Amino acid sequence: MKAFKTLFKTEFKLSLRGMDMFIFAICMPVVAVIILGSIFGNKPAFDGASYSFLEQSFGAVATIAICAGGVMGLPLVISDYRSKKILKRFKVTPISPTVILAVQVVIYAVYSFASLILVYATAAIFFNYHLNGSWLQFLGAYLIVMVSMFSIGVLVGGIAPNMKMAGIIASLLYFPMLIFSGATLPYEIMPVTLQKAADIMPLTQGIKILKATSLGLPIDSVLAPVIVMIVLAVICTGISIRFFQWE
Amino acid sequence: MESVIKVEKLSKSYSNVTAVKNLDIAVRRGEFFGLLGANGAGKSTTIECILGTVKQDSGVVSILGMNPQKDRKILFERVGVQFQEANYQDKIRVMELCEITASLYKTPLDYENLLKQFGISEKLKSPVSELSGGQKQRLFIVLALIPNPEVVFLDELTTGLDTRARRDVWNSLSSLKEKGLTILLTSHFMDEVEALCDKIMILKNGKSIFYGTIQEAVASTPHEKFEDAYLWYTEERGEENEGI
Repeated sequence: MKAFKTLFKTEFKLSLRGMDMFIFAICMPVVAVIILGSIFGNKPAFDGASYSFLEQSFGAVATIAICAGGVMGLPLVISDYRSKKILKRFKVTPISPTVILAVQVVIYAVYSFASLILVYATAAIFFNYHLNGSWLQFLGAYLIVMVSMFSIGVLVGGIAPNMKMAGIIASLLYFPMLIFSGATLPYEIMPVTLQKAADIMPLTQGIKILKATSLGLPIDSVLAPVIVMIVLAVICTGISIRFFQWE
Repeated sequence: MESVIKVEKLSKSYSNVTAVKNLDIAVRRGEFFGLLGANGAGKSTTIECILGTVKQDSGVVSILGMNPQKDRKILFERVGVQFQEANYQDKIRVMELCEITASLYKTPLDYENLLKQFGISEKLKSPVSELSGGQKQRLFIVLALIPNPEVVFLDELTTGLDTRARRDVWNSLSSLKEKGLTILLTSHFMDEVEALCDKIMILKNGKSIFYGTIQEAVASTPHEKFEDAYLWYTEERGEENEGI
């Protein structure tokens, strides 16, 4: 526990010194809310909709930080520490690899929750947003999406043979998901064919759950995505722990 | 007396190139053991096989009676390691690196004392990347000593240090020897090996060509100085007659 606390404190400081997560996970989602709010305001999501466009997009924007941390931050930091042989140095100490991974996962979780609070505050203060669904359900959904996306990141960081490959895989996951899963560009305004293509991305499924819970729509409509996300998390976490490599 | 580090018939090759072959090493408690040889002779591979960071092809290794692969978590409470390359996180400061390292062990030593002892306590708040080569080297020796270890592995102990700093490091290690510390080190400086090591092994192309004390090494050659004896052992005997 002492190791976890000290590592967490220091690694978090190092991450903040790096600035990239601050920009991509903290600033970018807030900017996205401001843009969406200013353009669409509180117009209804579609003709006759009972909720506004911003209300519909809230869950999606809240995942920008999850996406940045999960499929960009985590894989890069893990493969960076392996290629710099920092993990090798840890190997000749008593620490368990799970603690090292857990520290990074918790750091990105902190970024995600900080981003969620900021996104909510911005939407509430400037655009009079409020969550129609239950906070408990929404937070539960947020947690499932986060765990699932992070497990993908840990897997990529864990098995990518080198830093360059990790960077390529991370970019291949991050940019399409950021743009086409609905996190930034609203899913609802995409053509149907693009929506179908986007549906194979895990984040798209995650955003469906968040949209339903934030709008207070019936949960059973998103049961399939919930199961997909949980199964994904279990598989990815299992593989990354089983195949963890120090070097 | 018990062997703290024990290596029997250790062999390792990388894609058909032999890195080390059939090594036997026994280091007793309180002994300083030097692993010598030219670059590429197999020193680092030997250390890594002993530590378990590289898996040997054959042979048995134990430290403090434990298997470094299987008993990793218990064993490395009592073992300190300094690798040849300094590995550290971007933008990390000296104090942070020491703090992290100390947090990994149940009963760590006070790192501020160690930094003072090795003459780098004024660098506590500096980023590790801004330290000079010699300061980094000393910092990583400090990190290896933080666990209050019974055994320490030092790969290229004083490479990059100036004369004064090397002497200081020797003195610090010698005083730890009196307390019963066991060290396995590699070095390219024969004066250092003479000053510190009780026993040495000279490696050439992955094989042991000498194993014993420094006096024995000198006595078994036509030379009187240890450095000459070392060169006599490591030179290609065949080439001696060919040149000119």
